[in-house]
Amino acid sequence: MLPSDDATDSRTIDAVGTRILSVEDDERIRTAVKLALEDEGWTVDEAGTGEEALARFEQAPTDVVLIDIMLPDIDGFEVCRAIRRSSDVPIVMVTARDDTHDVVAGLEAGADDYLTKPFAPKELSARIRALLRRVRTQDSGSPHLRFGDLEIVPAEGVVRRAGQDVHLTKTEFKLLVELASSPGRIFSREFLLDKVWGYDYFGDGRLVDVHVRRLRTKVEADPANPHHVVTVRGLGYKLQT
Amino acid sequence: MTARQAVGASGSLTSSATGDEPMAAAALPAGAGDDRSGARRRRRLHLPHLGLRARITLAFTLSAALLSTLLAGTTWALTRESVLRQREAAATHQAYINAQFMKGQLSGGVNEPDQLLAQLSSLDTGQGSRSLLQVSGQQPVNEVASFGIDALPAPFRRLVDGNTPARMRIKVDGEPQLVIGIPLPSVNSAYYEFISLDETQSTLESLSVSLFGAALVTTLAGAALGLWASRRTLRPLADVGVAAEAIAGGRLDTRLRQIDDPDLHVLVASFNHMASNLEERIERDGRFASDVSHELRSPLMTISASIEVLASRRDDMPDASARSAVDLLVADIGRFKQLVEDLLEISRFDAGAARLELSEVRLDELVTQAVGWSSERSVPVDLDPALSGVVVRADKRRLVRVIANLIDNAQKYGGGATGVELRKVSDGVRIAVEDQGPGVPATERDLIFDRFARGVGAHRRSGTEGVGLGLSLVAEHVSLHKGRVWVEDRPDGAEGARFVVELPVAWA
Repeated sequence: MLPSDDATDSRTIDAVGTRILSVEDDERIRTAVKLALEDEGWTVDEAGTGEEALARFEQAPTDVVLIDIMLPDIDGFEVCRAIRRSSDVPIVMVTARDDTHDVVAGLEAGADDYLTKPFAPKELSARIRALLRRVRTQDSGSPHLRFGDLEIVPAEGVVRRAGQDVHLTKTEFKLLVELASSPGRIFSREFLLDKVWGYDYFGDGRLVDVHVRRLRTKVEADPANPHHVVTVRGLGYKLQT
Repeated sequence: MTARQAVGASGSLTSSATGDEPMAAAALPAGAGDDRSGARRRRRLHLPHLGLRARITLAFTLSAALLSTLLAGTTWALTRESVLRQREAAATHQAYINAQFMKGQLSGGVNEPDQLLAQLSSLDTGQGSRSLLQVSGQQPVNEVASFGIDALPAPFRRLVDGNTPARMRIKVDGEPQLVIGIPLPSVNSAYYEFISLDETQSTLESLSVSLFGAALVTTLAGAALGLWASRRTLRPLADVGVAAEAIAGGRLDTRLRQIDDPDLHVLVASFNHMASNLEERIERDGRFASDVSHELRSPLMTISASIEVLASRRDDMPDASARSAVDLLVADIGRFKQLVEDLLEISRFDAGAARLELSEVRLDELVTQAVGWSSERSVPVDLDPALSGVVVRADKRRLVRVIANLIDNAQKYGGGATGVELRKVSDGVRIAVEDQGPGVPATERDLIFDRFARGVGAHRRSGTEGVGLGLSLVAEHVSLHKGRVWVEDRPDGAEGARFVVELPVAWA
């Protein structure tokens, strides 16, 4: 929940010069969150509506997007999908209700993580840092990994299926590389939440499930009958040829 | 208005069906003790207090019995009269012929008893009939010795002696007989004939047996019909009962099927109307609580983010009271957030919207992690080796909350938790949290799981830490898992309470 032990390091590395686009229609919340995030060292751009958010995203380079689901014009899901069409920038959804429907819909729209109001800005910072963390190339071992028709180049951030480049978000890529670090080994949801999202034991397993589903639509020939990213009932997921 | 009527009707039904029996049972031992006559009176009052179905059945049975008895009785009386009359008419006709014949014999000079007896015997009398001839001044000539003239009642004989033909039913040696006396004045004699009614009697007897049997069958059929009719009549009421029970049990969308019967249409319509109103109202209440909690989240978000900004500048504040004010804000915003979360959780339970998010959970890991996350991370954890690495399907978040809430509760009211235990039991797992507080008195052990029940001795629990939702949420989470939670004394005899959660697991 709280920043991991290298928090002070990553704070100086990540936060300075990192631009967060905060999309929230409630002005007071927007201001308070901006103040708190700036306290942590981030640079914060603001948008009060979906339209404004998309316009700002076009204009200025953005490293992380924070989207409230309840927006007056275009809802948060739609903003999320619109951004995803052109960018793999990390997106954090903010919901006022933590029911499964909203959470899963947000993740399926392309969000990388979610938070429920009222969250502590310190926790948001920890989530953002985890999303921005680069893939640790030493985890993957060899520079080229092959799983049948699937080819992964961790150092370059490239994934090919049947010779074609596959476009993954940063989080999807991290998840795939984590699974590929030990082919055939079963990874529990808890373990993946820790490695990919930086959560402790209390992360939400739905994050893993929805991301695996998204990953399959991109790396599997037939996502309904996955050959590479396989569910091991009762235990977790594994990657195989 | 109609809805209220429907409530009243079903209410009185349930009270008569369920309320009376325990009352009667309770009254008996009390009456036996001090007031025997009172008990008897009460019992007499209760015995005829039958259920509606029993009353309908009884009414049908009694009507059938009454009708069939009346019919059978009338049939028997009429038939008996007609059978006897026919028999008498035939016998009388024959007797006259026989008397004429004997008169002819007597006037023809046959008067020796032996000859007369021979003539009598030659007479055409029916089966079981005997004749007797009394010539005045002589011993009567008798076909059968046992039927003497003495068997005839005196008034009858006087009548015949006075030249009046007479007929009478008498009993000789217990046998029913018809006796016909015909005076023969021209030959100074009287002719008597005894006709046995044995056969008629047995015919009538078998008739009465048949009639009795028919009446019995009719009565039984009436009872069966009554039972069937009462069941059929009461089925809509039984349906109402089942539906009301379902609604009481939380299935608020239960409705009665529409029926065409104009008599029952009102009841069904009113019941369904009432049920929809109730459902709507409960939904509205649940939505209200949930809306309020969601509305609270927005300002809470602003407040908590602002407090974080203030807190990070706390040490730069020159004013000591400003610093303590920030400390107070920081301390209470957490409690406030938890309260809103708990209220939201409760509103989900109330709206019936709470669902288990099942996933595979390693129990030993879950307990260790939950303790590490709670307010007292150093509580010793005693894990059952039999559960090492065991995975079950459960709602991880809820179980973690259960354990954390029990530990929080121990910390607030029990002087801190002394141990957490995970055990495998035959049909599930048991999680226990023990503390070193004063324990929970037996009278409060159920109440303690109620909302905002701060439990034993309000003064002792008047501390500002708790809001009293923790244990009630424990109970809700556990019951969603179909488990049980209770509090007991510590088994080692030490002072303190032991909260036990049992969750069912089907061990393969």
